[in-house]
Amino acid sequence: MHFSRKSLGIPYAVFLLVFVVLPLLVLVFYAFTNGQGQFTISNFTGFFTDPNTLGTLFYSLLLAAVTTAVCLTLAYPTAYILGTSKLKSRSVIVMLFVLPMWINFSLRITALKEILTILEGNLAMYPFLNAVIGMTYDFLPFMILPLYTTISRLDGALTEAAMDLGADRTRTFLEVVLPLSLPGILSGVSMVFLPAMTNYVVLDMLYNSTYIMGSLIGSYFSAYDWHGGSMISLILLALICIFTLLTGGSEETARGGALL
Amino acid sequence: MNVFKYLNILNFLKKREIKKAVFVLCAAAVLLSCGIGTGFRITAKAGEPDPDKTIVLRVSNWEEYIDEGDWDEEETIELPDADIIGENSVIEDFEDWYYETYGRKVRVEYSTFGTNEDLYNMLTLGDEFDLVCPSEYLIMKLMAEQELVPLSESFFDESDENNYYIKGVSPYIRNIFETQEIGGEPWSKYAAGYMWGVTGFVYNPEVISEEEASTWKILSDPAYRRQITIKDNVRDSYFAAVGAIKSDLLLSDEFRNDPDYKKNLEREMNDTSPEMIAQVQEYLQNVKDNVYSFETDAGKADMITGKVVCNYQWSGDGVYTLDQADEDDFELAFTVPEESTNIYFDGWVMLKRGIGDDSAKQHAAEAFINFNSRPDITIRNMYYIGYTSVLSGGDDPLIFEYAEYNYAAEEDEEESDEEAVDEEAAEDVVEEAAEEDEEESEETEEVSEGTEEESGGDEAEDTIDYDVSYFFGGEDGTYVITADADAMHRQLFSAYPTREVLGRSSVMIYFTQEQNAAINRMWVNVRCFNIHHVPVWAWILILALIAGAVFAAVKIKRRFHGVG
Repeated sequence: MHFSRKSLGIPYAVFLLVFVVLPLLVLVFYAFTNGQGQFTISNFTGFFTDPNTLGTLFYSLLLAAVTTAVCLTLAYPTAYILGTSKLKSRSVIVMLFVLPMWINFSLRITALKEILTILEGNLAMYPFLNAVIGMTYDFLPFMILPLYTTISRLDGALTEAAMDLGADRTRTFLEVVLPLSLPGILSGVSMVFLPAMTNYVVLDMLYNSTYIMGSLIGSYFSAYDWHGGSMISLILLALICIFTLLTGGSEETARGGALL
Repeated sequence: MNVFKYLNILNFLKKREIKKAVFVLCAAAVLLSCGIGTGFRITAKAGEPDPDKTIVLRVSNWEEYIDEGDWDEEETIELPDADIIGENSVIEDFEDWYYETYGRKVRVEYSTFGTNEDLYNMLTLGDEFDLVCPSEYLIMKLMAEQELVPLSESFFDESDENNYYIKGVSPYIRNIFETQEIGGEPWSKYAAGYMWGVTGFVYNPEVISEEEASTWKILSDPAYRRQITIKDNVRDSYFAAVGAIKSDLLLSDEFRNDPDYKKNLEREMNDTSPEMIAQVQEYLQNVKDNVYSFETDAGKADMITGKVVCNYQWSGDGVYTLDQADEDDFELAFTVPEESTNIYFDGWVMLKRGIGDDSAKQHAAEAFINFNSRPDITIRNMYYIGYTSVLSGGDDPLIFEYAEYNYAAEEDEEESDEEAVDEEAAEDVVEEAAEEDEEESEETEEVSEGTEEESGGDEAEDTIDYDVSYFFGGEDGTYVITADADAMHRQLFSAYPTREVLGRSSVMIYFTQEQNAAINRMWVNVRCFNIHHVPVWAWILILALIAGAVFAAVKIKRRFHGVG
């Protein structure tokens, strides 16, 4: 018996085929057929002509954008302080940020619900705010980690050089540190933005009764409309692809810059 | 206790939220497994059944909807005629019972589902079950689609002592199952009831009066803005909205006194005309901005923890909520809106695709229904689930005894010390009487009645006679529970609503595909953010932000290229 290195990849290939490729084909099939199994693009046009589905897309994008912005605002200074500090225990501190992720998701949100109730009095008065807080609470570690990794690997000599050459602190940060940490920002953003568009469990549990993309798809399936549901899933998938390509593309440029 | 409550809440979350999430995320994977499944499915049905072979019965039921046994000793329900305790799960007991009774081995493959829609999707995807327990509207849908096997004639033979269902089903429920029809056939031909209830409101009597909570219109009442929860499912919400919109009509004397009241009521409550759907949409959009949340399970916990003051609820869960609140010394109440209430049932039906023409399997399936209808098993299930069974027990007194055990006024608690002493003395008398007298039960009753009068005095209005004869069978006054005075809006009322309330209940029929499509569309419209609501300044702001981002990106890129 002898294996080539390639055969080690077979289990993953099988997994990929069974759980990713085939379901995707089924999804495409449903998206472009109607109840009678005939080919149609009405599901597709339906999505872009219905003010409610478009509104849901808008709401999801807005929610995701705000969440991402909040995460970035909170995470960047934290990651910067940690990444540039000389503390020996800084990996322990980073660990502390990741620690909440070890706790069960629904448990965390349930706890958050209680905290917010104490803070806000009546939770249901601020549905959008709650959703943003919930998502931020949930996804913040995903933003901190890549940022921290990038910033802590940043070559200190470059900032020193900038300062030596007469740049003040602000300018050094804006023109050296920030551009160099761009890869971290981009991967953090994509790790927060994409799940924030679909993670409707947070909204459900925090009593925001407006649908986002995830719940919209769910509602189509529970109304037995698999065709419409599949089409929305497909459109979402396409959006994610575009987003990834965009950030991925500039990420390479940024990396190129970081390599210098 | 708080810890348990907390754990309970978590349980809900785990079950529903995650299930839902997993369902959506894996929908595609499920689609696939169906495709592959068809290829691999082993043709188990081949050949004539061999009498020695174990029958495999595939049952699918709601989560936590059958007693799983393993009770503590203290949980034993001590009724005058029997002590009831669940040692093993009902499933195991059924397998043993079937072998002892019919001499054949049966193995139950038991699985659960979360919603009727999940079950229907599973069936469409090719999952095969022999016996399932959906709600009435899915039963109607399955009947209309001719997916069901009719119950056999022998199932209705009351002379067979093992036919616990037909001997024990409540005459009230039986009548509904025999008169409600789909395609000219009564439900009873295909379906045997399991649990039932009505919809209403659990409310906090310290904040809301019973009168306020007795109308569907409270959902849009600005006085309770963000303090009421509504069910996160389209059917229940639709029903409530119709009730609220047609409130004036439904409450008018003219409508009420019409000889065809019941028929008219069901017609009105099942109104799915385009105009009605449009009105419901508008109403529910208001409700969405007024209620605390659309909830699937969290409403019970939110009610108990006092986050909300009123909760649209199924009566079975109403009992649960009230019980849980009682443990925290927090008194809640249950009421049913005056306009109309949705009476619902879960029932057992056999599927053609599963049973086929396998008579041995059908026999086992019907035996499973009967076993679950045996009075002691019924009580175990009711105790475990907290819902009310459609069974009244027929000649067997156990189920009524269980209702009394749960809801009859307790004379030895909640009374002043002096009276408690009296009470003890009275109990001694009872015990002596029990030893001496042959007719112990009657004697006990007399004595306890006597006690009531003695201790009465200032608390003469402490108890009421709650008539449940309509359910247990017989003339008014045959089955009366002497309950605490507040029983009218407490657990007893939720478990066995009064005849008067049921007089204004209506069954919500299943909708045709077009109606369903229109109503689901309405629901999506209610729940979605409409893009037309985005103001112009917001668009300008967004465009500006995007332009800014692009500009920044380009600038950064240039700089790098410049440096590189």
